[in-house]
Amino acid sequence: MDRPSISPEEAREALDLIDRTTQHMRRSLAHGGAPYFLLIWGVVWMLGFGATHFLGPDSPTVGLIWMVLDTIGIIASFAVGWWISKQMRSPRYGATVGIYWLAWIVYGALIVYFAHPQSGNQLSMLVALLAMFGYVTTGILYRSRFLTGLGLVMTGLILAGYLLWPAYFNLWMAVLGGGSLIAAGVYILRFWR
Amino acid sequence: MARFDPLIHQPIRLRIMAALNALPEDAQLDFSALRNMLDVTDGNLATHLRKLEDAGYIAVEKTFVGRRPRTYIALTPQGRQAFAEHVQALREILGEGE
Repeated sequence: MDRPSISPEEAREALDLIDRTTQHMRRSLAHGGAPYFLLIWGVVWMLGFGATHFLGPDSPTVGLIWMVLDTIGIIASFAVGWWISKQMRSPRYGATVGIYWLAWIVYGALIVYFAHPQSGNQLSMLVALLAMFGYVTTGILYRSRFLTGLGLVMTGLILAGYLLWPAYFNLWMAVLGGGSLIAAGVYILRFWR
Repeated sequence: MARFDPLIHQPIRLRIMAALNALPEDAQLDFSALRNMLDVTDGNLATHLRKLEDAGYIAVEKTFVGRRPRTYIALTPQGRQAFAEHVQALREILGEGE
């Protein structure tokens, strides 16, 4: 075929358009339902850790509240995952994501079980760190600086609260932990659409 | 020399092809998800998709999810090849990759 009659400037603009569209699609793919997952788990953390602080970690009601909140969080997360799978059908991609999170849950449960946390604070810190490990590794995997950065900042907040203010750790996690997840979810919904 | 494709070069079709090319190879994208991403109207998108489908560059599958009709769009191997060649042709115009 003959050389097309477009200028180098037009070719450059077309390549820039391709790059922007490709990056936009990859970012959509990487973040998928991220804002909804962040909102769901932000609310779960805020209510769960808030209840733990105000009712006391040894209250039998607190365990029940966490069980109900976690169940709601897991069901809502599955619902969001199902909704996302309707936007893009890809058996291989869906299986990869599913296996990744299944492996994360299984290994997280094994680590928590065998680590024998010595206190409620330690258990909360361990579970929260495992969640952030999931954020950071997902961010690295999909080259998402936002998810990686969010995971690292949250890790810093979790460790600061655990080490510096143990008496207020649950309140810290409710307000700063849950609040940061919610703020991140709102930010994505507001600015990335 | 790589093949410059005037059909792909139209800006909206170029964005459609770039968006679909960024997906995993076995992926199909929902019509409304593509429309929202490109920020175009239903009619505009449908017109461009028809041209790409007629050229054999994309495959369109109409189905139902529950009771709701859904349209899924995927790049064909021929479309992926044509897009790769078009990108290469653009680079060659810039003196890259010749």
